[in-house]
Amino acid sequence: MEEEHGHGNKYGMVIDLDKCTGCGTCMVACAAENNLSVRPDESDKQHSITWMSLYKISNGKKFPDTEYSYFPRPCMHCNHHTPCVSVCPATATKIDFNTGIVSQIYARCIGCRYCMAACPYHARSFNWWDGYFPKGKGLERYLSPEVSPRMRGVVEKCSFCHHRLMRAKTKAYTENRRELEENEYITACAEACPVQAITFGDLNNPEHKVSKLAKSPYAFRLLERLGTEPKVYYLSTKDWVRKFADNYLPGEFKPVTSPKG
Amino acid sequence: MGLMHMKNPANSRKKPSKGGLFFFLAGLIPSLIIGWVIYPMVLYSKQAQPINFSHSIHMNPEIVDGIEGDTEIEKCLYCHEFREDGTFAGIPKLAKCTECHDDPDSALGESEEEKKFLSKYVANEKEIPWYSYYRQPDCVYFSHIAHVKMGEINCKTCHGDHGKTDKLPVYQANRLTGYSINIWGRNIAGYKTNTWDRMKMDDCAECHTLKEKEGNNACFVCHK
Amino acid sequence: MELNRRNFVKMLIGGAAGLQFTPLPWKLTDDIAIWTQNWSWLPVPQAGEFTLEKSVCTLCPGGCGIEVRKVDGRAVKIEGRTDYPVNPGGICPIGMGGLQLLYNKSIRFTGPMKRVGPRGSGIFKDISWEEASRMLTARISDLRKNGKPESVAAIDGNPGRSTMAMMVERFIKAIGSPNYIRIPSIEDTYRMSNIIMQGTEGPMAYDLENSDYVLSFGCGLLEGWGAPGRVFNAWGNWHEKSQKKNIRIVQVESRASNTASKADRWVAPRPGTEAALALGLAGVIIEKRLYDDEFINYNTFGFHDWKTADGTNHTGFKTMVLKNYSPAQTAEITGITPDRIISLAMDFIKAGAPIAIYGKGKGTLNGSLYECMAVQTLNALAGNINMPGGVIIHDPLPLNPLPAIKADAVTRRGLNRPRIDQAGSKRYPFSNSLVNNLTEAILKDSESPVDTLLVFSSNPAFTLPDHGRFEKALKKVPFIVSFSPFRDETANMADLILPDHTCLEKTNDIVWPTGLQYPMYGLARPVVEPVYDTRNMGDVIIGLAKRIGETTGASFPWESFEEVVKTRVMGLYNSGGGIVDYDGSAPAWKQQKQRGIIDQGYASFNDMWKKIKSGGMWYRPVHTYKNREGLFKTPTGKFEFFSTQVETAVYEYSKQVSRNKALKAFGIKEKGDMAFMPHYNPESAGKKETAYPLLMVPYEIINLCSNWIPGPPFLNKTLFDNELRGNDSFAEINPATASEYGLKENDRVIIKSQVGEIKVRISLFDGAMPGIVYVPSGFGHTAYDEFLKGKGVNPNDIIQAGKDPLSGQPVWWNTQVQLIKV
Repeated sequence: MEEEHGHGNKYGMVIDLDKCTGCGTCMVACAAENNLSVRPDESDKQHSITWMSLYKISNGKKFPDTEYSYFPRPCMHCNHHTPCVSVCPATATKIDFNTGIVSQIYARCIGCRYCMAACPYHARSFNWWDGYFPKGKGLERYLSPEVSPRMRGVVEKCSFCHHRLMRAKTKAYTENRRELEENEYITACAEACPVQAITFGDLNNPEHKVSKLAKSPYAFRLLERLGTEPKVYYLSTKDWVRKFADNYLPGEFKPVTSPKG
Repeated sequence: MGLMHMKNPANSRKKPSKGGLFFFLAGLIPSLIIGWVIYPMVLYSKQAQPINFSHSIHMNPEIVDGIEGDTEIEKCLYCHEFREDGTFAGIPKLAKCTECHDDPDSALGESEEEKKFLSKYVANEKEIPWYSYYRQPDCVYFSHIAHVKMGEINCKTCHGDHGKTDKLPVYQANRLTGYSINIWGRNIAGYKTNTWDRMKMDDCAECHTLKEKEGNNACFVCHK
Repeated sequence: MELNRRNFVKMLIGGAAGLQFTPLPWKLTDDIAIWTQNWSWLPVPQAGEFTLEKSVCTLCPGGCGIEVRKVDGRAVKIEGRTDYPVNPGGICPIGMGGLQLLYNKSIRFTGPMKRVGPRGSGIFKDISWEEASRMLTARISDLRKNGKPESVAAIDGNPGRSTMAMMVERFIKAIGSPNYIRIPSIEDTYRMSNIIMQGTEGPMAYDLENSDYVLSFGCGLLEGWGAPGRVFNAWGNWHEKSQKKNIRIVQVESRASNTASKADRWVAPRPGTEAALALGLAGVIIEKRLYDDEFINYNTFGFHDWKTADGTNHTGFKTMVLKNYSPAQTAEITGITPDRIISLAMDFIKAGAPIAIYGKGKGTLNGSLYECMAVQTLNALAGNINMPGGVIIHDPLPLNPLPAIKADAVTRRGLNRPRIDQAGSKRYPFSNSLVNNLTEAILKDSESPVDTLLVFSSNPAFTLPDHGRFEKALKKVPFIVSFSPFRDETANMADLILPDHTCLEKTNDIVWPTGLQYPMYGLARPVVEPVYDTRNMGDVIIGLAKRIGETTGASFPWESFEEVVKTRVMGLYNSGGGIVDYDGSAPAWKQQKQRGIIDQGYASFNDMWKKIKSGGMWYRPVHTYKNREGLFKTPTGKFEFFSTQVETAVYEYSKQVSRNKALKAFGIKEKGDMAFMPHYNPESAGKKETAYPLLMVPYEIINLCSNWIPGPPFLNKTLFDNELRGNDSFAEINPATASEYGLKENDRVIIKSQVGEIKVRISLFDGAMPGIVYVPSGFGHTAYDEFLKGKGVNPNDIIQAGKDPLSGQPVWWNTQVQLIKV
């Protein structure tokens, strides 16, 4: 097992759930950016492929006190004991400690789906079929050359748009820079979000907005007690929303706000 | 010597028949020929480039004026340029050629190939369907600028002395994999003597392992 | 030396051994390994030079700035622009998936076509543009020759003030037909409300970003209302954690939509009673004398009781509201407790810059006119008209008008005939289009009054409430021409297709994004080469007119649609003071408040035109707040609580019949002065029947296309499996209602109304008001491809469109239904 580096970049994301409206633009932006296959039936969520998923949650109260909220869920890019990486028998998925990105190499994946079983966040999808691009329909014409389309039998997941990191670096090299400025590299979902609920940047850089937000009293992560150290943080001022982040025994949850949620 | 003896199987078991080595060699030699000579010929399809292009003429300042650059790399980059976003243009588009070869009716040189080039492509504003010797599979990401500009690696290190050739080599593609012969290497045994002889993942990794300190060994640095 | 078995084996061994010393087995193994990674049938996207093209999205009238990322000319991604004032950064999911509409061959017409299969089958044959144009113009010329140009009618879905809509209207009028009919939208309701109460023709302009208390009556702020990119951006700013101001958003809606859930406060009146709630709030404000005295006394008419010159006593708004809409009375109608009504009214009126806004979902269809007016009275009481954070009154965008059409005798005669839909007649004095009346007129007589129907940028056979009746009418129309780029339901009924470009392929404009508080003009330009053999509708219209010739042709002196746009944009230049770029450093709505002097950044018209074409924008974020001099152009010159225009209209109509009959004809139930003031007019589609005890309310969501645009397949990924599962869509009902009917989650039911039935599954939804069945709009296509066709059901199937009082537009927001378990 490689040592975790303290230095270098640690790219991460903060999603403000108070802002998130559940519109799904992040999902569409992600799918368009990363050449996700869309099949005629996407309603079977066990078989459909999404890198960014939305979960709708309810405060469970009766009409008219019902309230809904959403959790956008990309890959958490777990920084510690990355569950998928530790089980992959083919080294098809790996964490890079210079960036914190957990990558997935499709040509290397053998499709055993061990990683899917290991992932506590259901962030991984399996290609039960080849990408759906029927001949003569023209759908292949919008495919981006920056992300390789997937074949059946491999697992895929959110990559933090690492091709955008490479894109940004390539651009920076024209100016003889190796270091990237804040916002030079952001994911497609963060860029697309029409309410700017998603902030992306280097968690190791105290100047970056993302590292400031991650220290907010309202910040939390999913299943934090597993110790996987996700690099995706959430913000919410509402306790009932925050409660969804983990499984709490009665009395275990500590509200950070006055209990109005 | 009686026929009886010859036909006795017990006898023949004891005594190796003559010509055994001959038959062994009769199997061995053709298979060596098949393996070393015929197989490579069958394995690779051959395609000539649509027209010839002489790198050496273009790189010779006494013949061609205007390919600017102080170093060899700069001269390469004059045509095989980096775009504004840092991506590499690879084989130049026709527009690059017509910066100089702008008039289809007046050739700049004397070669037949240039005339063919002018009449067939420049006059019709048609892109030349070059075969690319170095196209990697779709799963591979490669940033030229990271290597050439930031890594200060010569073009030659990977591409050899292409700039000095007068004739474009015949393009050969592996019939099984569809990849260019330059990826696996021209040597059928896979031996390489020069850094530019082969372009497989191991060859990339060789260098990347040496320079691991620079921290460019994540999977996604080379894969997309 | 004989090749016996033994020697043969030796030879084989020799051969096998030999092969081990050749590269063959090793290389072959490697190649096979590589070969197994090759999936020749999987597309390999071609790499190339990346470029970014800036433009404006015209998929909806919101007009977001977009940037198309291309690889060697091939579009691979649509992204939002940070240098565009409407939507700095983000866009909506539909715009984001736009490339699937551009390239998907099975949902587009790839060239002009003529129908060969039966109507509705979608079987067409390719023809040339020449033949297609000849077919249409010959028909129109014949009708003109026979003196029946008015039997050509157009249905247009282009946004109201856009140049494209103007071209369509001009074309129809230049032929000699008054029958230019628009698809109803919320803009119609805004337009009529503004005319009646303020006498103004300008668009509805809500200064949301500068407001600190937004009271939204049904606006799907997070469902795609207004200019979605702009509203979402505002939403993000409102919820910025570093935000100091205490900004509150209140949603009035019966269902826990995203807007209602995410708002600071959700108020759920019975659907269709929003007007009563607004008036109830007004009552509290009036009773506690918290309204803006100055504005009420100097700038309004009909607030206090008054006496006319002839001595008649009139009831003013104040008396009317206090008498009819006390908290207790309002609670009775709306189901909201008196306490909540009072606290809501107090919160609203005591806020620094409150605003009450009106809408119904996305605003794809019209709203209720009296309801819209009732909401507007709250703004008047708060005195926030033409104030920061309030409702801003503007003149229409100063685009050049086009010269009057040339008309010969045929044209003049045709234009003098009454409109088939009766819009603008004495019965419908405020409406400019009534598509449902067109349907009825076609169905009424044995022979359709419409001979040739042209359909532009709309899909009425899908989007109209009670579209079944519309389709029945379509079947009676002898000749239908569709200009749609998409193989939609209406186009499938057409006899001839002259396909338009899709949004990324054409020049098109956005004249004032819906609801924006400052004047703005967006210009979309072609960012990709046309993918198929389609043409810009504007250019096609010019070509058709020229081919018809005579005065029709003479009315279109331009060479191209772009020339028309340029001619109109000249007006923006002449008006002065607009900006053509945006750097994102200061939001445009902030500039508006600062009232700074702006640097136009262009020297001449040509310079400005060039910049508008490349940047896609012209806007003028300056406004003189507070100035109310000559603001209201009603007959009284004031904001009218009591509409003198409605009174006059009823009077005019009552010359034919009695006053009471006139009121009844207008759909107004009240008899006295109340009829001319905003009031709650209980309305529903169809007669009340006890056999249909439940109400069906259609609702819209941001990630489902309920307008004429087909949904990009990517959107299917964003739908939850209790919204669509397989081909079943869901109806949301409250668990309490469900148990009354013995229904569980996922149960299949039939929703039956007086005009039809649909089959759905049940989704138990705590956010649904008991007794209401909520059905999403946008499912149930019978056209298009495997991504859309047959998925879910369309609530429009079973809506029996009623008539909104005064406006005559369809009432679609509540339909009586019953549930039958399958």
